[in-house]
Amino acid sequence: MPRPDRLERVTDLLLVLLDTPRPLSLREIAHRVPGYPEGHDARRQAFERDKRLLRDEGIPVLVVPIGGEDQLGYRVDPDSYYLPDLGLDEDEQAALNLAVAGVHLGEPIGRDALMKLGVGGESPLRTGGAPLVDLPSVDGLPALPALFDALRQSAVVAFDYREERRHMDLAGIRFRKGHWYAVGFDRDRGEARTFRVDRFDGPLEVDDPSSSQLPDGFDVDAEFARDPWRFGGGDEFEVDVLVDGAESGRVIAELGTESVVEHREDGAVVVRLSVTDQDALISWVLDLLDHAEVLAPAWARAAVVERLAACVAEGSGQAR
Amino acid sequence: MSRPPDTAGRLRRLLAILAWLAQEGEAPIDEVATRFDLTPGALVTELEMAACCGVPPYTPDQLMEIVVTDTTVSTRPGTALARPRRLSPHEGFALAASARALLAVPGSDEDGALSRALAKLDRALGGAGIDVELDAPPLLAVVRAAVDSGRQLTISYYSASTDRVTDRRIVPERLFASEGHWYVDAWCATAGDVRRFRVDRIGAAEPVDGADRPAGTQPRASTDRGIDGPPGRPAPTGPGPQPPGQPVSFGAFVPGPDQRRVRLSLDPASAWLVESIPSAGPVTTVDGRIELELFVGGDAWLERLLLRLGPDAQVIDPPGDRALAAAAATRILRRYQSTE
Repeated sequence: MPRPDRLERVTDLLLVLLDTPRPLSLREIAHRVPGYPEGHDARRQAFERDKRLLRDEGIPVLVVPIGGEDQLGYRVDPDSYYLPDLGLDEDEQAALNLAVAGVHLGEPIGRDALMKLGVGGESPLRTGGAPLVDLPSVDGLPALPALFDALRQSAVVAFDYREERRHMDLAGIRFRKGHWYAVGFDRDRGEARTFRVDRFDGPLEVDDPSSSQLPDGFDVDAEFARDPWRFGGGDEFEVDVLVDGAESGRVIAELGTESVVEHREDGAVVVRLSVTDQDALISWVLDLLDHAEVLAPAWARAAVVERLAACVAEGSGQAR
Repeated sequence: MSRPPDTAGRLRRLLAILAWLAQEGEAPIDEVATRFDLTPGALVTELEMAACCGVPPYTPDQLMEIVVTDTTVSTRPGTALARPRRLSPHEGFALAASARALLAVPGSDEDGALSRALAKLDRALGGAGIDVELDAPPLLAVVRAAVDSGRQLTISYYSASTDRVTDRRIVPERLFASEGHWYVDAWCATAGDVRRFRVDRIGAAEPVDGADRPAGTQPRASTDRGIDGPPGRPAPTGPGPQPPGQPVSFGAFVPGPDQRRVRLSLDPASAWLVESIPSAGPVTTVDGRIELELFVGGDAWLERLLLRLGPDAQVIDPPGDRALAAAAATRILRRYQSTE
């Protein structure tokens, strides 16, 4: 007689699949795990539902061709199911709990992870003044966990970015100024490039494990293009921007003192930017309103003037 | 107690209980039940069921080693299913990113427990390729010390929404990083209310002696965006303590008193520029263009947005804002003309 609780059957199934050194056919499984229906079709249907449940829970149920009339065998490899022992001490577990409680990136993924590690489930009591950090939700950035996985497996990734197909040997994933970036070697351009993950168009394609080969000595921190005007674009050129005293402090804090090529008496500074993306440069300069001005080269200055003139023309049209 | 979970949810919870119990060895039923949001009776039922699971021939030595007494439950490390499971890419990423984010907070202990935990995670999960950079505005330490001590600060503050510098007296209450910037929610004596300040726009800060916020006033941070809330994301809720067991919650966006609604029409290609800005309503498509309403904190903020969007973006409503971008562009152009 079938037992009523499906959880019991599923738990037995998981234990049996983990325990077996060789793939088991459905017939062998039904023989070992109590609770499957008698008829062939009903049994197959019940097993497929259980298998889907396990897979939806992230349990890697392997399907292997076997000889004989059953054709397919099933097992779960303990090495891919269990985590190697992390050996976390008590204070390290507590620190991870605090980190997951203090960082917001689309709960409850981090808490689920701690549950799996056996250190979760705890009320995340925060210490009084501990700052919180809010990162963009992983739910809104499906490419991010896939990039993380590709990085772990040294797999080449491919994606669409600004209507171009890009192929990259991934070197690192960086968070800066509110955005996540993928840093690596762009195979199509033959150079290091940085891409904003929220600007990927469509899904990420991940090649085979170990397909990626970064150039020797590739230094991800040195190659990480930290400024928006250096993302993903083409050739590099230098642009001088005059920033007046009202915003110079903030701009220096953002760019670093090494970007300053001139200090003026009124508190204004001239900063030199290395630019690969003209649109991003214009956006950055316009964000400073009339506190900033592109000085050189002439064509970059002209591009800003052109954009502003277009806004004036369009705006006076609208206002009429 | 929430809705009873389905089989998948129960399996997930059972595996979590076993993984935790394996670390503890033995624990009081009440404690385990509370921790995993079950009644004691339901916990016992679930574990007694699990104690009957195993592999053929289902003799006692082939069953899971779970012992349920009147008051405690226990298992043994090494029991099948009672070892931590591998993490999904999602979970591994979330954990590595969270730990790195907290370590990136200026002043965190680089040799502390979190760093050690992260090193162990990296070894097992290979998360070493992730890094998080947080801003370190010069006055962050001063503001943080004021939050910890409850002291007042006098600050000079550049407000981006109004493009003006003002001097204020504030009692910092809560510090957080969002959208790549540090913010502090503070009682502002000048405004007589709670305001949100971007730390990198504080030009000078001096601790001053004096009373805290006036007695009887309550923080209103959860309903008041203040003068400079992060433009892009829902704001964390107010500075009060979180109820135990609740994750730190980031409440829904609520506009502040000075904010107005502006209706924009955009080319769909520029939609990404505004998708992270709190919108007052659904995005609609009209004649191949998209329309949406945004909350706007001040003229300067809207000017920045419109200039970045370019000439294609149009204000539909209020009519008084339709010429705003053109006026700002004219003002900036004057700079270029005067130095040409």
